[in-house]
Amino acid sequence: MPQAPEVSIAAASEGGYPVLEDGLSPAGAGAPAFKHSRLQRLADRWAHLGFLVCSLLVVGLIGGILYFLATRGLAAFLPMAGNTGRTLSFSEVFLSTDWAPSSDRFGILPFIAGSLGVTGLALLIAAPAGVLTGVFIAKMAPAWMRNLMRQVMDLLVGIPSVVYGIFGLTVVLPLVSRTWLADAPASGFAVSALILAVMIVPTIVSLSTDAFESLPAALDEGAQALGSSRWQAIWRVLIPAARPRLLTAMVLGLGRAIGEAMAVQMVIGNNPQWVALMRESTDRAPFLRALFTPAATLTTELVQELPNTAAGSTWNNVLFAMGLLLYLLTMVLILATRRLGRGKEA
Amino acid sequence: MKIRFMARAILAGLLVTGAAQAQTVTVMGSTALGPIVKKAAEDYMKSHPGVQIAVSGGGSMTGLNQVTSGGCQIGISDVFATPDQEKAGIKNHNIVVQPFTLVAHPGVGVKNLSAQQAEQIFTGKIVNWQEVGGQNRKIVRVIRPESSGTRAVQKKTILHDQEFAKDVLIQDSTGAVVAAVATTPGAISFVELEHLEKNKNRIAGIAYNGVACSNEAVKSGKYPVFSFGHAYTNPAKLGDPKVKQAVEDFLAYILSPSFQRNVIKAGYLPVDYVKSLKTKL
Repeated sequence: MPQAPEVSIAAASEGGYPVLEDGLSPAGAGAPAFKHSRLQRLADRWAHLGFLVCSLLVVGLIGGILYFLATRGLAAFLPMAGNTGRTLSFSEVFLSTDWAPSSDRFGILPFIAGSLGVTGLALLIAAPAGVLTGVFIAKMAPAWMRNLMRQVMDLLVGIPSVVYGIFGLTVVLPLVSRTWLADAPASGFAVSALILAVMIVPTIVSLSTDAFESLPAALDEGAQALGSSRWQAIWRVLIPAARPRLLTAMVLGLGRAIGEAMAVQMVIGNNPQWVALMRESTDRAPFLRALFTPAATLTTELVQELPNTAAGSTWNNVLFAMGLLLYLLTMVLILATRRLGRGKEA
Repeated sequence: MKIRFMARAILAGLLVTGAAQAQTVTVMGSTALGPIVKKAAEDYMKSHPGVQIAVSGGGSMTGLNQVTSGGCQIGISDVFATPDQEKAGIKNHNIVVQPFTLVAHPGVGVKNLSAQQAEQIFTGKIVNWQEVGGQNRKIVRVIRPESSGTRAVQKKTILHDQEFAKDVLIQDSTGAVVAAVATTPGAISFVELEHLEKNKNRIAGIAYNGVACSNEAVKSGKYPVFSFGHAYTNPAKLGDPKVKQAVEDFLAYILSPSFQRNVIKAGYLPVDYVKSLKTKL
């Protein structure tokens, strides 16, 4: 633990500027040294302790969640105490598409593929839309519009996901099925990805607006001085210059999308057999058909089944393993964000 | 879902500590059975001021897990306990009867299905409503998740323990099922009778083997698709004889004719309607 702050003017810092160690505004060289009262020092020490405890609590909580998920999730593969379920092999869980827990078959590949598929598709829609909106807000929009757009984006981030879900279920799904599918149900990747895209666009817009605003004006001006058009300046200069931060924006959007459960659950159709169904399909355009086939993701399956399975059963253990996998996936995304962020500074 | 459950658990905890003097019985489990058991608890506490009954949700499996481990005194469930849980010595009480019915989108043009037709629709052998005398329209099967009690009942009664077709749309709750059936042409599903009655203007009931689902049809034995609502106790974990007495007394109250008359209003049927049938569901 660092020592309680000694309040006196510290030795001049390297710049030769006197600095107060308690963080008050730097006093002039001639300002009289002053002492904090005992009470203030005590309060400082307690505040320090308070902050420390809070931060340790957060770290401990995250560690605790990982530990809990790991012990429950790994119970599917390792014999552990309190485990009434069967011990499974990694391959029959991670490499099988056959999910029928009541019949003792636990392949979770459909959920992994579902999560990656729907998230990737959502990003495909949201990334261009978000980045271009960011350019518009940062570089083109008049001031009043910029303010309005920023507020609208903040508002969109705050809408609870279940609202997006209800909108998807009651408006988008019936509309899509009536318009394009001759009344077949539209549940599946297409509508889920669309809803997810709407949910993550605000995140991407906010972060890419920041990215463009933080670029030195010289870049834009220089490009225009050299005779490039608006479009050329954006495409050839601004976007490449902001790329590390734009990638960070996308990874954060991806993180939000992959963890979303409620909204997706309401529109995707939640069918764990979707891979088998696609394989049996004789459709001439299987990819197009897959977009409108009820499917399932890691999160939707967890939401649906976790509350109703017996603790310690094989089924329950596998669901926890899926939770662990989600946790690790999110972790990887966060690490990727940090790496990309560091790339920016280099 | 978790948060709601936790909030309830905390609330239950507060109730428990608040009534330190009284005998406290905690009930956990099925959210479907929750309201009717809560009603019974309220009525019972009025006439038994010394007893506190706290009812919270969590789902059928939570109820069964908790009663097995001694975390609550009564676990309410839509489904029978697993063999492991039964081995632990928990005891079943059927408290109500729950009738189920087939429902469909109003436009399918079919009012009745034979047992065989219903089975083949859900196993995937029949794929178009035309094959059972309806419109030329693809059949969209809407069912509940694998761990759902309703799905277990459906598998046993309608599918006779065969697997569901792979081409299905799955919805998490009965409310979501009703919404999906109402907005998806060609949809068919399986819900508690009470939900059909509440949504008669949006979805259509389908008779099973020529008999439409109704309380009278179940009572007369003509309509075979129903399940029991269960209340499980764990005699080995009811240490305090006073608590044991309160639990037994409360269950007796739920099964008393005066309370069983009330369950019809809540969409259930009294247990003695089907006592003679001895259906294991």
